[in-house]
Amino acid sequence: MTQEFSAVGLSSARRDSSEKAGGAAKFADDYSVPGMLYGAILGSPIASGRIKSIDLTEAKTVPGVVSILTADDLPDRRVGSFIKDEVTLARGYVRFVGEPVAAVAAETKEAADLAAQLIIVDFEDLPSVCSLDEALAEDAPLVHPGQDDYVRTSETPTNGNIFWSASILEGNPDAVWDSCDVIVEDTYETPGQYHAYMEPCSALAEPDLAGRITVRSTAQSIFYIQGRISDELDIPMSNIRCVAPKIGGGFGGKNGVSVQPIAVALARASGRPVKITLSRSQDMEMLRSRHPTRIRMRTGAKKDGTLVAREAELWFDAGAYTDESPAVLSFGMLCSRGPYNCPNISVKGHAVYTNKLKAGSFRGFGNPQATFASESQLDALAVKLNMDPIELRRKNAMKAGDHWLGGQTVDSCAMTQCLDALDERLKEEVSALPPAEEGWQRGVGVSGLSHISGLMGTSAFVNLRADGTVALQTGVVDIGQGSDTVLPQICAETLRLPLESIAYAAQDTDSSPYNWKTAASRITYTAGRAVMQATVEMRERILRDAADMLECSKDDLELDIGGTVRVVGADRKVSFREIAARAFNRVGGPIVGQHAFAFDGPRFDPKRAAMSNFAFDNLGVYVFGAVGVVVDVDTVTGKTIVQKVWSAHDIGRAINPQSVEGQVQGAVVQGVGYALLEELVWENGRLTNPSFMDYKIPDGMDAPSEITVMLIEEAPEATGPFGAKGIGEAPIVGVAPAIANAVFNATGARLTRIPMTSERVLNGILSL
Amino acid sequence: MTESNDIPIRLTLNKSLKSVFCKPTETLLSLLRDGFGLTGSKRGCNQGLCGACTVLIDGKPMRSCLTIAATCNGRDVVTVEGLLENGKLSTMQQALVDSGGVQCGFCTPGVAIALTSLLREDPKPDRTKIREALSGHLCRCSGYIKIVDAAEAAAEKAGS
Amino acid sequence: MGPGMTFSEPETLDEVCSLLSKDPEARCLAGGASLVAMMNAGLLAPTQLISLRKIPDLGAITSMPDGSVKIGAMARHNDVAAFSGFLGAQRIISAAACRIGHPAIRNMGTIGGSICHADPSADYPTAITAADAVVSILGSEGARQVAARDFFVDWLETTLEQGEIAVSVTIPPDPSNASVHYEKFTRADGDFATVSVAACLGMSDGVVQTFRVVVGGVAEKPVRSPEDEAVFIGRPLKDSDIVEFSAALEALCNPIDDMRGSADYRLKLMPRLISRALKRAQADQLVSDSGETA
Ligand SMILES: Cc1cc2nc3c(=O)[nH]c(=O)nc-3n(C[C@H](O)[C@H](O)[C@H](O)COP(=O)(O)OP(=O)(O)OC[C@H]3O[C@@H](n4cnc5c(N)ncnc54)[C@H](O)[C@@H]3O)c2cc1C
Ligand code: FES
Ligand code: FES
Repeated sequence: MTQEFSAVGLSSARRDSSEKAGGAAKFADDYSVPGMLYGAILGSPIASGRIKSIDLTEAKTVPGVVSILTADDLPDRRVGSFIKDEVTLARGYVRFVGEPVAAVAAETKEAADLAAQLIIVDFEDLPSVCSLDEALAEDAPLVHPGQDDYVRTSETPTNGNIFWSASILEGNPDAVWDSCDVIVEDTYETPGQYHAYMEPCSALAEPDLAGRITVRSTAQSIFYIQGRISDELDIPMSNIRCVAPKIGGGFGGKNGVSVQPIAVALARASGRPVKITLSRSQDMEMLRSRHPTRIRMRTGAKKDGTLVAREAELWFDAGAYTDESPAVLSFGMLCSRGPYNCPNISVKGHAVYTNKLKAGSFRGFGNPQATFASESQLDALAVKLNMDPIELRRKNAMKAGDHWLGGQTVDSCAMTQCLDALDERLKEEVSALPPAEEGWQRGVGVSGLSHISGLMGTSAFVNLRADGTVALQTGVVDIGQGSDTVLPQICAETLRLPLESIAYAAQDTDSSPYNWKTAASRITYTAGRAVMQATVEMRERILRDAADMLECSKDDLELDIGGTVRVVGADRKVSFREIAARAFNRVGGPIVGQHAFAFDGPRFDPKRAAMSNFAFDNLGVYVFGAVGVVVDVDTVTGKTIVQKVWSAHDIGRAINPQSVEGQVQGAVVQGVGYALLEELVWENGRLTNPSFMDYKIPDGMDAPSEITVMLIEEAPEATGPFGAKGIGEAPIVGVAPAIANAVFNATGARLTRIPMTSERVLNGILSL
Repeated sequence: MTESNDIPIRLTLNKSLKSVFCKPTETLLSLLRDGFGLTGSKRGCNQGLCGACTVLIDGKPMRSCLTIAATCNGRDVVTVEGLLENGKLSTMQQALVDSGGVQCGFCTPGVAIALTSLLREDPKPDRTKIREALSGHLCRCSGYIKIVDAAEAAAEKAGS
Repeated sequence: MGPGMTFSEPETLDEVCSLLSKDPEARCLAGGASLVAMMNAGLLAPTQLISLRKIPDLGAITSMPDGSVKIGAMARHNDVAAFSGFLGAQRIISAAACRIGHPAIRNMGTIGGSICHADPSADYPTAITAADAVVSILGSEGARQVAARDFFVDWLETTLEQGEIAVSVTIPPDPSNASVHYEKFTRADGDFATVSVAACLGMSDGVVQTFRVVVGGVAEKPVRSPEDEAVFIGRPLKDSDIVEFSAALEALCNPIDDMRGSADYRLKLMPRLISRALKRAQADQLVSDSGETA
C-alpha cells in the first residue's frame, strides 16, 4: 500500500462547524416541543442546615404551575460512583448554598421561577465549614455526620471531614534528605476554577404514553446520564433514552449529572415534556468546580541537578459531595512526580468535605494543581543550582521504558524531544519580540507537563452502504473537541476513503454502541482504537469478498484511495459498490464491523511502589510536553500579561492537526485564566462571584496574542490509532507554573498561590 | 395569547418585515428564540457579558439579551441566520469554519456577527483591531487565535 | 413581571417626567445595558419602562458657540468616543468613553444612563467630574443645572428626585488647552475599573495652568479635591507635590473590598496611577508644546 493518506493527518474542517457558523446547530436549550413545561429549581439559601419543613401552599397558587417536587416525592436513594452520598433533591439536610431543594414545572419560565421563589423552607441553621482550614480544624462540624453509613466502593479510612486518604511510596525519601545538595520546600495554593463552558446546563425530558422518556441534555456521556437517571429515580435503563444534542463545551463540567434527573422527575410527575435551563449564576452555584487545593511539597537534588527525593502532601477541597473526588485526588497524586525520574518519593493525599459547591472533574483532573507545585519547585531548584531550567528538566526527563510513579511502564515518550523543541524556539524567538513597554518588566518561564490518555470501555460499529459509502456509529458525544470529525477520519483512513464517504450517526442510547465518557483525553485514543479495529474487521470482509469476485488471493489485493480494491500490479479491480451489492443481496449478507474493548494497558506495579486506596488500578498511556511563556509585569500595578506561549506536545500522531492546535490553544488560554484571573470566592458559605461580571475569564484581549503549537510526532503510540494519543487536557497542565516561573523571572517574586492577581503580584514585588 | 399591555411592533428581521406582539419586559433575545424560533443567537449569560446573543441592530452589533424587544419597533435586526447569503455561509462564516475557529460553536453566532460588522467598517483590519472587535466575546474553547485567523482570512478573501 | 407592567415610548420630555413623577417604581430606559441586566438578574422589577428613544435630538452632541460641548443624555458611548469636537481638557470625556466595556456595549449604553446609574467604578462619573461638566436636569417641577461634582451622592445614587431626568451634560471649554490622560486599571478587558484616574493637565512656560485629577473606584462617588488641586497652579509640576496630593486624596477615600480588588490594593493603586496619569499627560503637553513652537 502506498503511504499517502486519504483522511488522517489532514486538517479537515470540523464536520459540524458549518451548521454552527450558520446558527442552525441545535443545542439542548434550542429544542422546544409542543406542550412543553419549564422547570425551575429552588437552591438552598444556606450553607448548612436541617430542613424542618417545606410549605408549598403559596407556590401552588401561582397561575400556570403544574408540578412541584421535593425529596419526599422521589425514591429515597443515595447515589455516587465512589461514595453514595448524593441525592437528587435535598433530603433532611442541605450542605451548600445552591443545593437543589425543590423543583417546579409550570407553563412559563416566569411562573416556574416565581413559584420556586415562593416555596417556604423552614431551616434550622447548622454550623458550616467553608474552607480547608475550617474543615480540618479540631472539633470542626461534620459536613456528613453519617458518612460511615454510606455505601463506598472501597473501605478507605475517614477522619472527620476527610473522607478519602491515599498514599504512594517509592524508595525511601526519609533516608536520603541528608544526601541532597539542595532542598526546596513550600506550600502551594490553587483556587476553585469554574468550567465556564459557554452553554449553561440544560435538559429537556419528554415522556411518552408507553412510559419511556427521552432526554436531550448538556452531557459528556449519554450512557453515564442514562445510568444516573436510572439510579437516582429507580427507572430501568430500557425506559430511558438519552440523545446528544450539540454541546456547548464541557471541560469536565458536564461529566456528571446536572439537571437531568430533576427534569425527568418533573416530566414524570406532570406527564408533560419539561425543559430546565439554568441561568449562568445557577450554573455556577449549583454544579461543580475544579478542586481548590493546598499542596505541601519538598524536593531534593544533587549539585548536578539529579533529583533525589520528593515528599508531597495534598489536600483537595471536595465541596459538599464526593462526586469524582477520589479519582481526581488519586490522579493528582500520581502526577506529583511529573514526567521526571526521582527514585525516592512519598505522596499523601486527602479529599475533604466542605459546605461548598462540589468539586469534580475539570480538564487536567487534579494534575494542574500537582504540576503547579512540582514545576514551581523545579524552577526554584534551578535558581538555587544556578542551572538553566530546561537543562534541569532535560536531565531528569523520563524516557520510553521508564516507569511512571506507581510503576506503570511508559512505552512511548517524547519528553526530551519536547524540551528540545521548546528550547530551540525560545532561543530563537524570545529576543525577537518587541521590548516590554516602559514601566513593565519581562520574564520567561517554562514548565514540563504530562498527562494520560485512556481509561475505561468503548465500542464502535461500522457498516458498508449499498453505494460503497460507510456508516459509522459510536457512543461518543462531541462536546466541541472534534470527535465528530476525528473518528470518521480514522474510519476513512482505514478504508482509504475520503472523509465525505463516512456518515457518522448522532449519539442515542437506543442505538449507539456503548462509550463511557468524553473525558480523560481518551476519545481519540480509545474510541479511535475501537473505530479503527471495527473498520479493520469490515475491511477484512471487503477484501475477502473482493478476492472471491476477482478470483485471486486476498494477499494479492490492495485498497486504492476512493473505494476500490485492486489486484496488485494488474488492472483488475472491483469497487466497494459492487462488493456491497453482491453481499447485500446474494452472498454473505451486509458487510459490518464492530469492536469493543476496555483500556487494557499496563497496571501499577506493587513491586515498585507501595500504594494504598487508589481510586483505580490503571489509567492509560502517557503523553508528555513542555510549555514556555513570555510575560510582561507592570511594576506599577502588578498586572501580568502573557505575550506569547509555545506549547510542545508528544502527540504520537495528529489525526487532524488543525483540530489539535485548536485544542491546545483553547487549553492554554484556560490555563492563563487559571494562572492570573479565575477564582471562585466564598464568603460565609456563599459564592460571592457567580457571574461573568465578577468571575472573569480571559477574552480575546486578555489572551496571549500568539500561541505557537509544536506537535512532536516522534514517538507514535503502538496501541493508538495511527500512533495517536490524546491531547484534550495536557496543554492546560503546565501553563500556570510556567507563568509563575516567568513572573519570578521578571520580578524576583515567587508566587505560590494562584491566581496571580495583579494585587498578589504587586504585594509580592513590594515585599521583596 | 396576547394580553392588554402587550406591544405590537414591526421590525425588519433578516431582511423580511415582521409584525409581532411582545411583552413589556421581553428581551429581543427571548423574542428571537421563543417567538421566531431563531435559536442561532445564544443565551450564555443574559447579562451582556458573554457576547453569544449579539445581533446587528440598525447595522451595529448589540446585545439582544439587554435589548427590550419593544424598542426594536421600526428597526432593522440581523441575526446569525441572516448572515447567510443565498442559503450559503457568508465569507466570514465560511472563514470561521475553514480556519478552525469553530469548536463547540456556542460563541460562534455572536463572533460571526461582531466580525461581519468589523469587516464592513474596516475591510483590512490588523490582528489588534480584530481582537478589539472580539472584546466582550467569550470563547472557552478556541483560545481565540483561530478566530482571529478567520477574520484575517475573510478580509483577504473579500479583498481579492 | 406584574400584570400592570407597561412599556411606553413618549415623544416629549414633559411626558416622560409626568409619567415618572406619578410612579416611583417607573424607570426610564436608555441603552438598557445596566437596567435590563438588573431586570434579568431579578434585582429590579419596574412597573413601567419609559423608553427615551423617541425623544427628538436627545442623542445629539453639539459644539456650542462658547466652545462648550453639549452631549445629549441619549448619546451612545461610541458616538461620544468618536466625536472630534472636544478640545483641551474636554477630551477627557472621549478618552473615558472609548474605555467603557466592549464595542457592543458602547453601541448601546448612553451617557445619561451611565451617570444616572452612578456606579462609582464606571468611567463617565469620574470623567465628567474631571471635565467640570454640568448636568442639565428636567423635572415636572422645572429645569435645574447641577455641577458634576454635586450630581453624585452615594453608591448608585444621584441628586435626581423622583420625576426628574438628566437631559444633557455640558462640557465647558478649556482655554488652557490642557492635555488629558484617562488611566483605567481593570482586572480583565472590558471590566469596570478597580481604580481609574482622570487627569487634565495644562502647562505653559513650565508652570501648571490647569490641574484636575479625579479618582474613581475608591469611594461611593468620584473623589476630587479642588483645594489640593489649587496648590499646583502657577508652579512647576513636582513629584513631591504629587505624592502629597495623593496622600491628601487618600483621606477622602472610602474604598471597599470586592472582586475587583481589596480596599488596601485600591489605596495602593491610587497614588501609582495618579502619577502615571500625570506623567503621560505631561508627556503629551511637551509634545503639543513643541508642536506649537516648531
Ligand atoms: C458587559 C458590560 C460591561 C460594561 N462595562 C462598563 C465599563 O467598563 N465602564 C462603564 O462605565 N460602564 C460599563 N458598563 C455599563 C454601561 O456603560 C451602561 O451602558 C451604562 O451604565 C448605563 O447606560 P444605559 O444607557 O444602558 O442606561 P440604562 O441601563 O438604560 O439605564 C440605567 C439607569 O439609569 C436610568 N436612566 C437612564 N437614562 C436616564 C436619564 N436620561 N435620566 C434619568 N435616569 C436615566 C435608568 O432608569 C436606569 O435606572 C457595562 C455594561 C455591561 C453590560
Ligand atoms: S447572553 Fe447576551 S451577552 Fe451573554
Ligand atoms: S467554540 Fe466553544 S465557546 Fe467558542
